[in-house]
Amino acid sequence: MTTPWARIFGYKSDHKQEDVSTIDLLARLPLFEDLSRRELAAVERILHRRHYIRGEIIFRQGERGMGMYIVQQGSVAITSEPENHELFELKDGDFFGEVALLDESPRSATAMAKTDCSVFGFFQPDLFGLIERDSRLGVKIVLRVARFVGQRLRQANERAHTLSLELDSLKQAVLGAER
Amino acid sequence: MLAGQTRNIIHISALFVAVFLVMVILYVGHVAEIVIVAGLLAYILDPVVTAIEERGLSRTAATALIMSLITLVVVVFWYTVIPIAIVQFKALQAGAGVTPASQALARIEGQLRDICQSLGLGPVNLAEELGKFKTSVVLKIPNFIINDSPALLIGLVMTPFVMFFILKDARQFKKYFISLVPNRYFEFTLDLMYKMDVQLGNYLRGQFIDALVFGLLATGALWTLDVPYFVFIGIFSGLANLIPFVGPLAGAGAALVAVVLEQGDLIRGFYVLLAFVILKLVDDIAIQPLAVGKHVDLHPMVIALAILVGGHIFGILGMLLVIPFVGFLKVVFEESIDTYRRYRFD
Repeated sequence: MTTPWARIFGYKSDHKQEDVSTIDLLARLPLFEDLSRRELAAVERILHRRHYIRGEIIFRQGERGMGMYIVQQGSVAITSEPENHELFELKDGDFFGEVALLDESPRSATAMAKTDCSVFGFFQPDLFGLIERDSRLGVKIVLRVARFVGQRLRQANERAHTLSLELDSLKQAVLGAER
Repeated sequence: MLAGQTRNIIHISALFVAVFLVMVILYVGHVAEIVIVAGLLAYILDPVVTAIEERGLSRTAATALIMSLITLVVVVFWYTVIPIAIVQFKALQAGAGVTPASQALARIEGQLRDICQSLGLGPVNLAEELGKFKTSVVLKIPNFIINDSPALLIGLVMTPFVMFFILKDARQFKKYFISLVPNRYFEFTLDLMYKMDVQLGNYLRGQFIDALVFGLLATGALWTLDVPYFVFIGIFSGLANLIPFVGPLAGAGAALVAVVLEQGDLIRGFYVLLAFVILKLVDDIAIQPLAVGKHVDLHPMVIALAILVGGHIFGILGMLLVIPFVGFLKVVFEESIDTYRRYRFD
């Protein structure tokens, strides 16, 4: 039982199993890999845990984005509208929607729970609050997010380049066939 | 899907229960006063606690530090200003300064009598009427202290207590509230709460700074003009300035009453009036635009009606708090519509 003093000063006689497993999950994410356990605990405090049932929409393409999600358990499908084409399937420990942590642009795809799942929401206002309170930690996280966004942008560029080459070769093949 | 609907119904029911509880608390007026005052003070002080937290202290330690500093200020105030208040109160009871006041009243009464006679009205006895009024006020103060002191004491003890927990645990309260919101409206609610927090925080802190600066300037001006009870009237003017239209008049009126009735000095009364006009101009031109910035614009009629309703429900405190509250409702309404447009709800 929590004593009144423990309630007032917020200390815990033993860590809750749930918090420890969340911190372990966060420690395994490449996004937070160089954070200490104290810093991970600070991140854990600002996460929002949400449970979704199979087929439930997490966010829709075109909606204003507030932040990213980390899959704790289950699977999430990222689809492009209107054709509902599945782009990726994300599993335990994967994260998505990280661009919205840096800007408030509309979501570029729809996220839907493919199975019953638990996710952690990590949102811009909470990140801003963390930067205010612990700027070192905040900057560390922002830098890691920026690196990931950059990495994914590079991958998208490479993919666009490959597709462009494929398109060119297809055009030439069509032109050759017409001649 | 059925399970999801059931969960949403549970969440919505929980929200309704929470709203019902808030209404019950609001119905119990005094508790609501304590919670509202503690909440507003916590809101104003939140950036200070966050700034201390940034220096490496935990939230609890930062909150405890701020509360200790406030206690220190209250203790200093208690030992420096309260003795002056007692002296001034005794002077008021003993009827000090009656002679100059009587002279001034006699002058005003003479002029009024001439006007009344020319208009064919009855005799005027201002001194007697004001004497009665003053006696009734002096008698009401001990009655107020005896009858209302238990509630006052509870308020004085409970407000810092509630404020401590709001300051320390506001983030957890917010997180818990957000956890009750159904998935589909969760990001929308988070977005809305963040925007409201920024808008309302800036507005309330701006109003607080405005009241503080106006109160200090008024105290300085009244001290320069040698107005009795200048500390109280200065503080009162600062607080009253939060009430549009009526507030500045109330501050100036209190100072005028003190000068004319206590010292009988009509010339200085004019200077006091002039000082308040200048202060109000400085407030409108410089302090408010700097401190409050972008105003939560409200229609003058809405302000007037809100003041009447606030005063009717919670008295002077209601008049003080009703404008920030109506401003809060306006921000909620506008931001809700703006944010709703950015989300795709089926």
